[in-house]
Amino acid sequence: MKPQNKLFTGLLTLIFLLPGYNGFSQAAQKGDLGITVSYFISNNMIPSLMVKVKTKVDGKFKNVEGISLKLFLDKDTAGKFIAKVVTNDAGEATTYIPSSLKSQWGKTLKHTFVATFDGNNKYEAAKGDVTIAKAKILIDAGSDKTVTATVFEMKDTTWVPVKGVDVVLAVKRMNADLPINDKPTFTTDSTGKASGDFKRDSIPGDAKGNIVLVAKVLDNDQYGNLSIEKTVPWGAKFAMLNTFDKRTLFATRDKAPVWLQLIAYSIMFAVWGILVYLVFNVFKIKKLGEDKIS
Amino acid sequence: MENLVIKKEITNGQLPADAISLANEKIISDLLPQKFGKAGKVWVGVLSAICLIGLYAYYRQLRYGLIVTSMRDYVSWGIYISNFVFFVAISLVGSLITAVFRLAGVKWGSPLTRIAEIIAVAAIIFASLIIIVDMGSPERFYNLFIYGRIQSPIIWDVIVITTYFFISILLLYYPLLPDIQILLRFKEGTGKRLYRFYSFIGSFWKGTAEQFELSEKAINILCIAIIPVAFTIHTVTSWLFATTYRPGWDSTNFGAYFIAGAFLVGAGAVVVAMFVFRKAYHLEKYITEDHFEKMGRILVLLSLLYLYFNMNEFLTPFFKMKESEASYLNGLFSGDFAPLFWFAILTGMIVPTLILLFKKGRKPLPVFVAGVMVVVGAWFKRYLIVTPTLLHPFLPMHDVPASYRHYFPSWEEWAITLGSLAGAMLIITILARIFPIIPIQETITEQHETAE
Repeated sequence: MKPQNKLFTGLLTLIFLLPGYNGFSQAAQKGDLGITVSYFISNNMIPSLMVKVKTKVDGKFKNVEGISLKLFLDKDTAGKFIAKVVTNDAGEATTYIPSSLKSQWGKTLKHTFVATFDGNNKYEAAKGDVTIAKAKILIDAGSDKTVTATVFEMKDTTWVPVKGVDVVLAVKRMNADLPINDKPTFTTDSTGKASGDFKRDSIPGDAKGNIVLVAKVLDNDQYGNLSIEKTVPWGAKFAMLNTFDKRTLFATRDKAPVWLQLIAYSIMFAVWGILVYLVFNVFKIKKLGEDKIS
Repeated sequence: MENLVIKKEITNGQLPADAISLANEKIISDLLPQKFGKAGKVWVGVLSAICLIGLYAYYRQLRYGLIVTSMRDYVSWGIYISNFVFFVAISLVGSLITAVFRLAGVKWGSPLTRIAEIIAVAAIIFASLIIIVDMGSPERFYNLFIYGRIQSPIIWDVIVITTYFFISILLLYYPLLPDIQILLRFKEGTGKRLYRFYSFIGSFWKGTAEQFELSEKAINILCIAIIPVAFTIHTVTSWLFATTYRPGWDSTNFGAYFIAGAFLVGAGAVVVAMFVFRKAYHLEKYITEDHFEKMGRILVLLSLLYLYFNMNEFLTPFFKMKESEASYLNGLFSGDFAPLFWFAILTGMIVPTLILLFKKGRKPLPVFVAGVMVVVGAWFKRYLIVTPTLLHPFLPMHDVPASYRHYFPSWEEWAITLGSLAGAMLIITILARIFPIIPIQETITEQHETAE
């Protein structure tokens, strides 16, 4: 091979090898996180926060697990620290607002909740926040089976009714809430009230027929998530059938069904009766043999 | 004339030593249990060594707990329960060869009855033992009696296995009585201890007509009783799975599917044992090529029957491919378990059928090869019934460690399993050393009946 050909071959090899060498490649790019903060207050008691963390992978959003976030009230400074949380497999983390921030909470009518992520070897640092105005919701159940929710906002030092807020009126069930009638949401009027007729008469309640009504404001831009519950005796009485003390196939052995015991023990006695007879038969044969000797 | 006299004496149970004809002496000398030769000693040594390794592995399991196995929360029934189902299946052969043949008037099967019964007893002993091994702490077996619920198929299985064990012992014992009388006549050839053992279990047998009558009656009763018990033992074993809501087990076909498989593997084991004993003890005159020809036909029938049940068991779920069962089925047909699954189907059913369909394939050696394939295929089939299902629960657990999602038996599990298989073979070997592998009295009687 001519020297120039050798040089050419060498260079070509180097060109092909270089892209494969990690030392020349760029550092892996870190992913970006999207942080959403939601505010919740249930039965006008202690407010809570839920943070959801997502990232985009191949054009699709994916929940990110194991992200450690710091939550702050109004500003991300040490004195306004709410909690440190870590996201679960659904990319979510929740916390209550601690009582240590009570004075800070009472100072203003609007608050911003800030969630910060400091970044790690996979994701860039990120931040998310939500601002809400203090609000509350009340629920009332009339004797004519009308459910009324009233939404108030704190203005200065008084609670003022709010108009035009969408409210869900529903009955709490095991897995999800069932609207009280076919209408999915009700809007508050100038008195802050939203009413609907309860049309779920045959719904099973507890032993006394109690069901739990719920009024909810969901993902409202100004007020976040508000909900309130009220127990009413509008359901059908439901007596839980407990078969624990009954004779069943899944009960303890002293409560086996009688028919099963009869069948099983009859078969066992019949078969083992035959076996015992056949063992005695051996002794009979033995006796015949001994008689023959004597 | 001499033969007729002897026959009369035999059938009357009067078999004085001086009246034994040359023909009878030949039969007796051919069929008397023989001491182990060099090969026999090596065979026993190898089996004992495997058993000892199994025992050491079991000691480790007792010492450190079931953590030494690869069984976890997903696969809680692993190779032990597969092996248990295999033993239960193989034990069913006692009822097939002894009872079904006898009641159906199949005379040619009588030289095979003792082999079948010995296999049945050995298999049922190890089926019981392997369950105790699977429990981890053996004292838990006691809890079955203290807390066992009559509603549970597990308790039904315990009851039925115990019943089947006793029936099998009786069915081995009763036809042995006339042979023990013959064995006692050959004190010189028998060791002292063995002679004492024979005396203990059968010296009272004098071969009187009354004794024969009682014995025949008992054998008939046992033959009738063992069939429903045998069907029950395997049906109940199948219910251990079928009453559990799991992919692959949730089937109404399971009872019949298990029984068909059990008859097949049992018949396979008998032809293997027939071939080995025939070679080892030179029994060509008693276990003839005709026996292989007929057992070959039976094996084909049973293979096809089991294949039919397998198609029933897999084709309909495959056709529907329900989402909840898809990963289990795909795992079997084309996934991780596919090589094992197709190996079990081909080796356990299709190839033996192809061999045995032809007359040349029903000669002793090909029948033996087919029998080995059936038995090996059957063992893996039991593994496939148990393990893949457990790896694919309808409701998977959250955040389980990766080790839960895969199962490959640990060395301790392999050692215990192989030890139990060796143990069963050791029992068969020892019983064949102690007792005539072919019933002597029955053979003499049949020879005279044929001569007549």
